[in-house]
Amino acid sequence: MSQLETTSILQVQNLNVFYGSFQAVKDVSFDVRAGEIFGLLGPNGAGKTSTLSAVEGLIKPRSGKITVFGHDLKTNPREAKSNMGVQLQANSFQPELTIAEIIQLFGGIYGVELSKDKIHDILREIKLDDSSSKRFGQLSGGQQQRVSLMIASIHNPQMVLLDEPTTGLDPQSRRQLWERMETIRESGRAVLLTTHSMEEAESVCDRIGIIDHGKIITIDTPESLIEKHRHDPDVIQLSRKGRITLEDVFIALTGKEIRA
Amino acid sequence: MQNTSTSIVLRSLLRADFTTQWRNRRSFILVLIIPVVILLTLKNAVDTGKIPPQVAVATCITIGLMAIGLMGYTNTIARDRDKRIFQRLRVAPLPSWSIMASRLSVQIAMIVVLIVIVCLAGFNMLHFTLPPATYALLFLCAVAGGAVYLGMGQVIVGLIRSPETVNSTTRLVYFVFIMSGMIGQSGLLGDVTQEIVQWSPYGTVERIVASSMNISTWNLDSTYALLLTIGYAGIFFFIGIRKFQWDSGK
Repeated sequence: MSQLETTSILQVQNLNVFYGSFQAVKDVSFDVRAGEIFGLLGPNGAGKTSTLSAVEGLIKPRSGKITVFGHDLKTNPREAKSNMGVQLQANSFQPELTIAEIIQLFGGIYGVELSKDKIHDILREIKLDDSSSKRFGQLSGGQQQRVSLMIASIHNPQMVLLDEPTTGLDPQSRRQLWERMETIRESGRAVLLTTHSMEEAESVCDRIGIIDHGKIITIDTPESLIEKHRHDPDVIQLSRKGRITLEDVFIALTGKEIRA
Repeated sequence: MQNTSTSIVLRSLLRADFTTQWRNRRSFILVLIIPVVILLTLKNAVDTGKIPPQVAVATCITIGLMAIGLMGYTNTIARDRDKRIFQRLRVAPLPSWSIMASRLSVQIAMIVVLIVIVCLAGFNMLHFTLPPATYALLFLCAVAGGAVYLGMGQVIVGLIRSPETVNSTTRLVYFVFIMSGMIGQSGLLGDVTQEIVQWSPYGTVERIVASSMNISTWNLDSTYALLLTIGYAGIFFFIGIRKFQWDSGK
């Protein structure tokens, strides 16, 4: 077993996803390592949601291999899924259930024993101890994201997948979510994050992969990416106030045209 | 990391789905009211001997089964798919069939409640009673009949992705089935229509439910109706499951 395999929580190898004759993901390979926040960035329709959906097991790739903590997602989906927690883009919980009931449902699904006291403790930890009998829709955006992230990590998975988790959040809630991601990283687990926010990628991601037209263009640390492209004429032209940012590099690599 | 057994997963899903159903009890009460109102309208025909009480009760149970399958189950599935509730469950380590098994278990429980309510209404309005053992047969036939309409709902939700279109389609199908079923079976639309309705999903379900309540009337046609009912359910579920998409594609 190579050094990479021993430290990788997620390995995606030569992934190809098709919708009919349209190829959304083209030979994508990357890995997410223990104690790392990995950001997958790309313009709309670049293939990041398709890649993430394949990792989550929601769509079947035409070819390629996905391994989560050593378990092949295709041949051993239950073991692979047991090792990851997922927060989908839409907060998709039954609107009739209370927060406590949602926690109980997902605790049961992931095999976590949860007494009433334990649920109360969990809610207190995310500062929602007075909201156990509220419905999910009654919570604010920030509170909903806290509940979603808590449920995604209720079983202490090796990796948490977050699909644009900070969209629509105020700065306070966003910072709080970043801190929670960093706590996961510090515990030696991994986070795979998709985001449109370059500020977020620059602030919390250890490495980022930029995907466009279904292909991975580059994988590197945010600092290295900026450093590598600092002297590119396109990047310099895009920069504002004389400071090169990750966003300048991202736009230079993926183009200025607006995607659908 | 803990491994979850399927039984624990199913128990959690069932608890959540029954809780959801309980919170939506007002809409289920509306589903129950329609057969009871129809039973009330048939009271005079039963009292004057134009319709046997078993047929009146069977008609109402059939209409209730239709409402549960077409209006309740189908619209809930369409709504939850649209809200990505199924996708949230599918990213968890559980078999996909367990999600639907839990939903269908709730519907079977609703069928039991429907039978109890209609039989109680039949007892009160028509002084209609059944020997205890007959209830078991009635329940089995009602579940077989209910499967036809759940399967029909599965076809609708399999072929149509938009929850709004699913809602309007189920209402239309429900209305067409009630009207063509009740009027067609009465013979008002001619012998050919009557024959077609008798062997349609409406007629076969009604026949097996009626025959189950009076076993002495069970004949070869009842057996054919039972086989057709099972066949309809099988075909509808086959098409509905094959065409079903977990995501509404929004």
